[in-house]
Order: sequence, then C-alpha cells, then structure tokens
Amino acid sequence: MTAPLLEVEGLRTHFLTRAGVAKAVDGVSFVLQPGEILGLVGESGSGKSVTGFSLIGLVDPPGRIVGGSIRFAGQELVGLPAEQMRALRGRRIAMVFQDPQATLNPVLTIGTQMALALQAHDRVSDRAAAERAATMLTRVGIPDAAARLGNYPHEFSGGMRQRVAIAMALLNGPELIIADEPTTALDVSIQAQILHEMKALAAESGTALIWISHDLATVSALAHRVLVMYAGRIVESGPVGAVLRAPLHPYTRGLLDSLPAMTEPGRRLRQIPGTAPSLLALPPGCPFAPRCPRADAACTAPPPRVDHAERRALCHHPLEAAA
Amino acid sequence: MSDIVQASALTRRFDPRLSLGDRIAAAFGARVETRPVRAVTDVSFAIRQGETLGLVGESGCGKSTLGRMVAGILPPSAGDLRIDGEPVMRHGRKTTTRIQTVFQDPFASLNPRRRIGATISEGPIAHRLIRRAEAPAFVADWLARVGLDPAVATRFPHQFSGGQRQRVAIARALAMRPDILVCDEPVASLDVSIQAQILNLFLDLREALGLTCLFISHDLSVVRHVSHRVAIMYLGRIVEIGPAAQVYAAPRHPYTQGLLDSVPKLRLDAEDVSFQPIAGELPSPLSPPSGCAFHPRCPRATDLCRAQRPELAPHPGEVAVACHHA
Repeated sequence: MTAPLLEVEGLRTHFLTRAGVAKAVDGVSFVLQPGEILGLVGESGSGKSVTGFSLIGLVDPPGRIVGGSIRFAGQELVGLPAEQMRALRGRRIAMVFQDPQATLNPVLTIGTQMALALQAHDRVSDRAAAERAATMLTRVGIPDAAARLGNYPHEFSGGMRQRVAIAMALLNGPELIIADEPTTALDVSIQAQILHEMKALAAESGTALIWISHDLATVSALAHRVLVMYAGRIVESGPVGAVLRAPLHPYTRGLLDSLPAMTEPGRRLRQIPGTAPSLLALPPGCPFAPRCPRADAACTAPPPRVDHAERRALCHHPLEAAA
Repeated sequence: MSDIVQASALTRRFDPRLSLGDRIAAAFGARVETRPVRAVTDVSFAIRQGETLGLVGESGCGKSTLGRMVAGILPPSAGDLRIDGEPVMRHGRKTTTRIQTVFQDPFASLNPRRRIGATISEGPIAHRLIRRAEAPAFVADWLARVGLDPAVATRFPHQFSGGQRQRVAIARALAMRPDILVCDEPVASLDVSIQAQILNLFLDLREALGLTCLFISHDLSVVRHVSHRVAIMYLGRIVEIGPAAQVYAAPRHPYTQGLLDSVPKLRLDAEDVSFQPIAGELPSPLSPPSGCAFHPRCPRATDLCRAQRPELAPHPGEVAVACHHA
C-alpha cells in the first residue's frame, strides 16, 4: 500500500451567519490514494461542494474551517499561509467548476489564460506555453487546438468551454483534481463525451480525482469509491459497486429508490418523505432520522460507525449488507 | 381512444431584431441580411385522451418552443394546433382554458409579491369557475391535494422550498380544471429525493383527474417513467415518435440510439457501467446541415443523407422515424 495522497480527518467547515452557525461540513474524514477516482454524492446543502472548496482553500467568509486536518502528500493544508496555498493551488491541486462560463475570463483569449496559468508556477516562455496549451487542448478533444488558442471563451460551445477548463486544470500536471458538478450544465451527449475523456485522462496521467455530483449514475460510471453526504456528514462510504448494490445506510437506499430507473415505468416511486433539515437547526443525533423509515428512539443519539468489509456507514440501524 | 390534441405542421421562426444601423440602412434601401432561427419546423403529432406524450431532446432542439406553442403561449409562425378540433389560438391569443402549464423554474413562475392563495385562486375567479367567496375553501382544497398544509395559503413564494413551490405551481395549473397539462421540465431543478416526490404527485393527480399531458424533459429516465408515448426532437424536428416501451427498448433512429447509449445507466449487476457518447456537437440552428440534420454526427450517414432530408415515416408498431436507414 502506497502512502495516501490525501488524508482528511474530522474536517469541519462552518458558516457564521447572523441567523446562527450553519455546519455545512461537520466531521468529514476520508482517505484518497494516488490515481484514485472518488465520487462525492449528495443533494443540495449536503456539504459536498463546501468539502471540495475546503480542500483547495477557497472557503470565503463567513465560512471558515473550524476544525480537523487536511494532509496532502504529507503536508498539512489547514492553517497553511495563503502564499503557500497559492503555490499549491493550480499546480498540485486543481479544480474544475460547474460553470465554465464563470471560470474563464471573458476578455482574454484561451491561449493567454492558459499561458498565465503556466507562468504563474513556472518560468515558461510564451512560445513554449502556447505549445503546451495546444497539446493539452488536443488531449481533451478540442480539434484544431493551435488555431483555437486565439479564440475567446464566448467563441466556444458549452461543452468545449468545459473541455478548456479541464485542459487548464490538467496543465500543470496536478496530483489531484477536484471537479464540482462539471457536467451538470451540459447536455447528455456532451456529458457522456466528457465523462469518457475524464476517465481516460485520469488513468493516463495518474491524477487522482474527486468528482462531486448529485447524480449517482454518473458517479457509478466514473468513480472507484463513493462517499455519500447528508447534512454535512459522510453517512456512507465504500467501493461504488458494493455501495450501490447493497447500501448500508437508509439514506443511500432512499436515494437509489428515488430514481425513476429503479421502478417499473408508470408506478409510484419509492420516495423519501420530507426535506433535508436546515443546517442551522440540525436534529440531535442522526440528521436523517426525521425522514428515515428505520428510525426509533435510539436515533436521537449520535449514530455509531458501522464497518462492513471496505464499507462504512453512520447508522443505528444499518441495512443488511448482502454483497 | 380519440385524439384530443392535434398539432399539424407547427413551425416557429424567431426573427432577429435588427440593430439601429441595419434599420437605418434598410430604410435607405440597402439589403440587410437577416437569418431567422427556425426553432421548430413542420412538427405534426397527436395526443390521445388520457395519454402522456413525453418530449425529449437536448438544449436548443426546440422542445420548449414546441411546448409553449401547445400551451397557447406562443403563436406558431405556421401550422395549426387544435383541441378536439377547436383552434387553441385565434389572432395570436389563446382562446381556451383547457390547457395549463407547469414551468421548470418555480422561483420564476410564481409572483413573488403575491400570497400563494391569491395566486391559486386568481385564474378560477377571473374565468368564473368559482365565486370570490368560495376562494378560501377552494384554495385549501387544492393545497391539500398537492400535499401542502392549507394554512400556508397566506404565505409568499420565498417562504417555500423549491419542491413546495413546484407543488404550488401544480395546484395553480390544475385549479383551472384543465383537460391538458403541459409540463416543461417540471423536476429539472429539484434534488433527486424531491424529484421523486413531485413525480409521484404528478402520477397521482394525472390518474385522479384523467389528465392528458405533454411532458417535456431532457432526462430520459424521467420521461420513460411518466410517458405512454415519446417523441425525440433534434434541431427543431421530431426524428422518432412511438410507444415509450418500444422506443426505449428498440430505438430506430441513430440519434435516439446514441442518446440512450450516452446516458450512464445504473446497472447494479455489472461491475462497469456502460455508456457510449455520440460524436460531435449540436449544429447551430442558424445554419442547419443539409439533408438530414443529424448526418454530421451519424455513424450510418451516406450521400443520400447529406442531400435529402428524410420524412417522418411510419414503421411497424406505431413508431414513426425520420431516417433513410432506419
């Protein structure tokens, strides 16, 4: 077993708002191996994006990392001076966001932006930078890359723009890429192309990938392991196939059962009742208890960790693990 | 079962607005080139009484424009839309309340300054379906039917979550006692667990009220779940239409096949999830390709496809496909 690339231990990111403290991420722990693809799944407000932003040091006030540790290749990132974080960000850890329109600078050509990203970390001549940028654009499937370096972001389609953002993330050969819902805004045929290429690129370059998504099917197509988040906590984790085949946590089960593909057409879906709790006023004990069909009096106490082979869940009444 | 909605040769163009300079040039007799966008071209279909027709396609294919024409919100540039033989629009105005719409974004479709009780009762009062004095009981009844506490009638939209707002939007549409409901991406902005709740509500009410529906979505599995028949659109035209079970099990048009293959499917029996992308990108509706619009991306394209556009032709099993090689 090689040393893990990333070790997150008890990460807590809170937002101090006028209405109270929103515990967006509250005690998240996981380990990522080099080259591994990890899917981070949850619904809105589950803390999946804030977890991603915390890792790369992009949590803005009123948000703050209030506890825990993030060790990247042995180096502690929590409390790292801004300058050192900046040297790491974009070089060894890169991020791809949901909306490439918001990521790319609309008034600079793609070539200029990519050169800036390279020159921020290395002394590279403009010519060498253009060459590397063109190579990278070709690798993410942009035809006629050298000519397109002179184009502005608005001259690309949505799918092509996301490819440019991915090429920029790959530019410095990072060890870890955090992708936050990178295909959510794209059409299905374009999403499939990007997933296909992402999988190949990660395997080729040995880059570890954290893929944040609300879509279980997308994650199952891409990731090796999956973390399921609910109300700021990881409620279940394990190898993708095993977790989806026989989830331990009732929330994961409920999420799967909510998918139309899991029910015969025209029949009522097995829905999860209620809505996610407010992060400002979480119920005591298990945050899923008010919506859970298995909940009882015990669930008002913090749920224990259940270990089953390579899988883990936080639950008083885990489901049978068949697989 | 008889057809309740008949759409024949519906076409919708959008003419670009001329810039000031172009308008001045045109006034002086210069030839100003304008290229209208053909959002929907020559689309014909029928929806049977009590049936849900699913309308699938990627962004820009014209599915929302078609939905807005069926809903009577947007007059067609050409073609004709009828309910039970009666035209839906006269002189560019909707003439019936038998069709109502549920939109994608419940944040934008509800008036933020109006209490939801007033939002739900406004249409029925204006159209004399109920008297003003009956409104409170009427609103309470509809809120209960969409799974909300009748006491929330005095609240404003911002006091609700996305899923609850979509329930209000459904109540508002159904309070008009429509026969036909157009749903334009009604669950696209909702979380998976909330999406399931709204789809269940839709299925329950559809059955209880015997609704006929046009259900528009980009999500193939959602459309499969709620639809009896489906129509697949590409660049403003229907390329395949037929019973949902049949189209999904044995798609005939290469675009339908590609679309179904490009969705990652949760297959719990297999280790590796299979999906296969379609090559290339959607062409611009400003300059659609010659012949069959799908030919630049199609693995089966031949010279015939580049030269001649295939008509939507019937195939066995009530399916119609627009492809030279289907």
